[in-house]
Amino acid sequence: MSATAWGWLVLAFPLAGTVVISLGWRALPGRMAGWLGSGAILAAFVCAVGATVKLQKLAPHARHASSTLFDYAHSAGINIGMSIYVDPLSLFMALVVSGVSFLIHVYSVSYMTSDRGYSRYFAYLNYFVFSMLLLVLAGNIIILIVGWAGVGMASYILISFWYRRTTATAAGMKAFVMNVIGDVALVLAAFLLWRHAGHHVSFNGIFAGSKQAFGTNNGTLIAACLLLTVGAFAKSAQVPLHTWLPDAMEGPTPVSALIHAATMVTAGVYLIARFHPLYELAPTAADITAGFAAFTLFYAATCALAITDLKRIIAYSTISQIGYMMLGVSTGGYDGGLFHLMTHAFFKALLFMGAGSVIGAMAGIQDIDRMGGFRKSMRFTYVTFVVGALALASFPPMSGWFSKDEILGFDVHRGGYYLVLAIIGFAAALITAFYSFRMVFRVFHGAAVPEAQSLERGELAHGEHLNPMTGEHEDTDVGFPGAEHHIAEREWPMKFAMSILAVLAIIGGIVGIPGVTHWLRNFLDPVFADSKFINTQPTDTSSWIGLVVGAGIALAGITIAYVCYIRQPGTTGRIAARVPALQRLFVNRWYWDELYDALFVRPSATLGNFGRYVVERAFVQGTLVGGATRIVGVGTAIARGLENGYIRAYAVLMLLGFGGLGLYFLLQAAF
Amino acid sequence: MTIYLSIILFLPGVAGMLALLVPRRLAGWTLVTGTLLTLAYTIVMLARFKIGGGMQFVTDDNWISELGIRYHLGVDGLNLFLVILTALLWVPASIAAALREWDRPRLFMMFMGLSETAVLGAFMAQDLALFVVFFDLMLVPFYFLVGMWGGEDRVYATTKLVIYTLAGSLLMLAAAVALGVMATPAGGHISFSLATLAQHPLSGGSQYWLFILFAVAFLVKAPAFPLHGWMPDAYREAPLPVILVFSAVVSKVGVYGFLRIVLPVLPQASVHFQELMLAIAVVSILYGSILAFSQDEARLVLGYSSVAQLGFIILGIFSLDPKGGQGAVMQMINHGLVTAPLFLIIGYLAIRAQGRDSLDWMGGMALRAPVLAGVFLIVALATLAMPGSANFVGELYILFGTFQSKIVYGIVASAGVVLAAVYMIRFYQRAMHNPVGPQVESRDLALGPELGVIAPLVLVILALGVYPNFLLHRINAFAPTANDRTEVSVIK
Repeated sequence: MSATAWGWLVLAFPLAGTVVISLGWRALPGRMAGWLGSGAILAAFVCAVGATVKLQKLAPHARHASSTLFDYAHSAGINIGMSIYVDPLSLFMALVVSGVSFLIHVYSVSYMTSDRGYSRYFAYLNYFVFSMLLLVLAGNIIILIVGWAGVGMASYILISFWYRRTTATAAGMKAFVMNVIGDVALVLAAFLLWRHAGHHVSFNGIFAGSKQAFGTNNGTLIAACLLLTVGAFAKSAQVPLHTWLPDAMEGPTPVSALIHAATMVTAGVYLIARFHPLYELAPTAADITAGFAAFTLFYAATCALAITDLKRIIAYSTISQIGYMMLGVSTGGYDGGLFHLMTHAFFKALLFMGAGSVIGAMAGIQDIDRMGGFRKSMRFTYVTFVVGALALASFPPMSGWFSKDEILGFDVHRGGYYLVLAIIGFAAALITAFYSFRMVFRVFHGAAVPEAQSLERGELAHGEHLNPMTGEHEDTDVGFPGAEHHIAEREWPMKFAMSILAVLAIIGGIVGIPGVTHWLRNFLDPVFADSKFINTQPTDTSSWIGLVVGAGIALAGITIAYVCYIRQPGTTGRIAARVPALQRLFVNRWYWDELYDALFVRPSATLGNFGRYVVERAFVQGTLVGGATRIVGVGTAIARGLENGYIRAYAVLMLLGFGGLGLYFLLQAAF
Repeated sequence: MTIYLSIILFLPGVAGMLALLVPRRLAGWTLVTGTLLTLAYTIVMLARFKIGGGMQFVTDDNWISELGIRYHLGVDGLNLFLVILTALLWVPASIAAALREWDRPRLFMMFMGLSETAVLGAFMAQDLALFVVFFDLMLVPFYFLVGMWGGEDRVYATTKLVIYTLAGSLLMLAAAVALGVMATPAGGHISFSLATLAQHPLSGGSQYWLFILFAVAFLVKAPAFPLHGWMPDAYREAPLPVILVFSAVVSKVGVYGFLRIVLPVLPQASVHFQELMLAIAVVSILYGSILAFSQDEARLVLGYSSVAQLGFIILGIFSLDPKGGQGAVMQMINHGLVTAPLFLIIGYLAIRAQGRDSLDWMGGMALRAPVLAGVFLIVALATLAMPGSANFVGELYILFGTFQSKIVYGIVASAGVVLAAVYMIRFYQRAMHNPVGPQVESRDLALGPELGVIAPLVLVILALGVYPNFLLHRINAFAPTANDRTEVSVIK
């Protein structure tokens, strides 16, 4: 079987899972929908492995293949095929996506057990994986946009999964609209490339055409690349299109792990890696992208420092970590960026799963101010969470240590502007290490809160059901969210998923140890063989220097956190009191939401009301209609003497006239 | 098997007449049978249709020879799917009508059948005078359907509807007569044949004022800003099956007229007024979208969203680019296909909200109605042209065409894509999500009368989403009766 045939199968299984679950949900007993969904994703993963094996047998330069099933749209000079493109990059993404998705599906089998929307949940989740795989396997930019919008839609329906919470529906709306902005940008980019680079939509066609059509830093090309960046930023929640991601935490926690940490939000990184030939031809666009990425990674880290909602801390951490990946792929460090994409998928999914377990023990409460002392009662969650936090803090020899520092090492090596960006990256790394262990220490250490105490006695807390954001009461009789809470300690599927991810978070770095293994780089090399940065790799020695510096920073960050939260609790409070303005800025996430509210949301509502009450009433209804009615009124008043003045009578006469006339001429024509 | 377009044309009307003769309770089902037979016959026609074969199944007879008016029908890549769409959507509309109790049902069914015949005639006519006849004939059944069976303010709504459309019709009638007379060479025979008219374009000056007359008539029908004053009342007051076909199908007759008549016959004026039309389109898109997300009545959300969607279609047409034209025709079909189920859904929602179709009275309905929620979600996403739907492909072609000819209008119009997401998701959420509304009694779709009617439409939407080329491949927006010269002069 060819690599592309395997590729089509990768898509077929999740799609089949979606269809079967959404049509047969009434007939599926118990946890069946969950296992069915998990099985479909496992099958997709196996097929992705099959495609990879097949492709690796070929010579490096021949490791790509495309296949078209049918004409998707072929008219007026645009030729779009329903096609997939299989190369090491798309397979790398497919492997990461399907692998992590499988584990999160298994976790969800337990986590969502008591939820009334259990089958619906897995139908959505399978649809998400299908769209995501379509996105990474797409053979042309239009099919990529189809997958791109598909994941956005899946993200929307899963954010608003508990749709009786108004906070959840509002968050879903925000995410959807911001993602549509990205979609529109991609469509515009596709047009510019189609128009100016030889009427192609397929990736290879676009790249070949662009090399002919555009010189370095051609204005149109820069515009096209920046539009791609807008699309990537909307999907990957980079500043200034990031405000939807923290709100997306309204979705069930496994959704946050899958879509809003491990897979979908990294699609922007994939997009830029995929279009790297264009960014290399338009370095200005790449530099702008890198600048925003560096700002994002620092900005989001400061937010994660101050806020107290456990899931939202991890969400800001995700924004920050994707900033690192974006920095990598937009400055030419493709291997590093994609390496970090993979390790981040492991440890961030793990952290979210741990958070889900803790939130289960807290009976739905997400505020870390209310948590503490879960170390004893949740042994397994504690250990795995610490593993995740160490990897996030890039502590040696965790996977995150190798991947993050590969990105920064590459930018240090490029020097100049990129050195500045790398320094921002190192600074944010210190904050990252600090906030990672802020979570660990505040959730698991310290005095045990009542929930932790009752868990130590072997009882899971059953708090009242409140909306974690608004504190509103929720009636649980309808069953979403489910009445029961679940923790990893008691559910083997959750344990299974978290154990594997913990192992991967520890050893994932093995694919790229400087001077020892270059597995990932060798695997991806055929894709980036044409890159001008292929020989700009830092030496092993300088990589190791970077790693040691990174390790030092991580250690420093963790130590500071230790001092602040274990040795001398209350230190952070005193610091915050010293600089209240900064504290307010961070807690309010630099006021982005308020800014957008003032700039877009409220003006458009005002505009809508203006249209509704002023334009429609005064102009369209008043002047136009009123005027016309008055004229007719005068006309009918005159005519009233002759006719009875009812419009209905006119219409009857008109109908009879038509009928008679038609009949007359029909008869005339017939004879 | 030869296809007789006259059968397609008159079958629904005849079924309507039959409905007058049968017992009251059978009236509706008589009409349903007629519309089903019409649909079946158009599907045979689709199977017989030769792609790229130009005008097909032509019927061309003398009708009023003194005035040079011919009974000339034909189907080509421009109107093929519009004819099928008409035949398709009258089926759910008449089923929905048959399932309800009406005052004087036989008369109602007669007018429904008559209206289908009129619309089919307007789509198939290849003679300008014949087109005008059917275009005006459409008004009569809709006048009665709204005026006799509408809501409380039906008289006001009907009066407005009639004034607006009658004014448009009269302008068009004048323009059509003038066109026929002016295009007749001295001493020659007068002809209203569109093919002939396209071969003898008038001079620039006369084209311009004729263009304005036609444009007003067609923009009222769409409706486009600022000629949409009749729309809110008509949408609010009309019976649901009536507004369903009116919004889904009748609104396309106007924009179809641009492609069938204005562009081929008045090519210079079309180029001359291009930017004006694009501006009207863009304003309609933005204004319609903004108003759509400010409405609380479900029907008006759809009404204003139609203004925006038809704005996109006008945008595609007046990009005067083959891509834009293809997209515009495709979007006419797509918009019809999503609007019809949306109106059915409004009906279902209203039943569950104690007969009210205001969003204020809805909310949380997804809870006990997962199938309804799923169907609604699919249709809502198709309406906002999510990639993966055929609507996306239509919009993509429209935008590509507009970007190519006038990129500024295209970029401004792109904002409409984002706004569409806002109003459709808002509509969906306020009905299906959030806490349950005060008097909502939600239950899932009844298998036969509800799901059975809407499911086929949803399947068509899904199938076209997977394989949009089925439409695109057969559509030919810019080579209808137009000869090659028009193509050269209008389509750069």
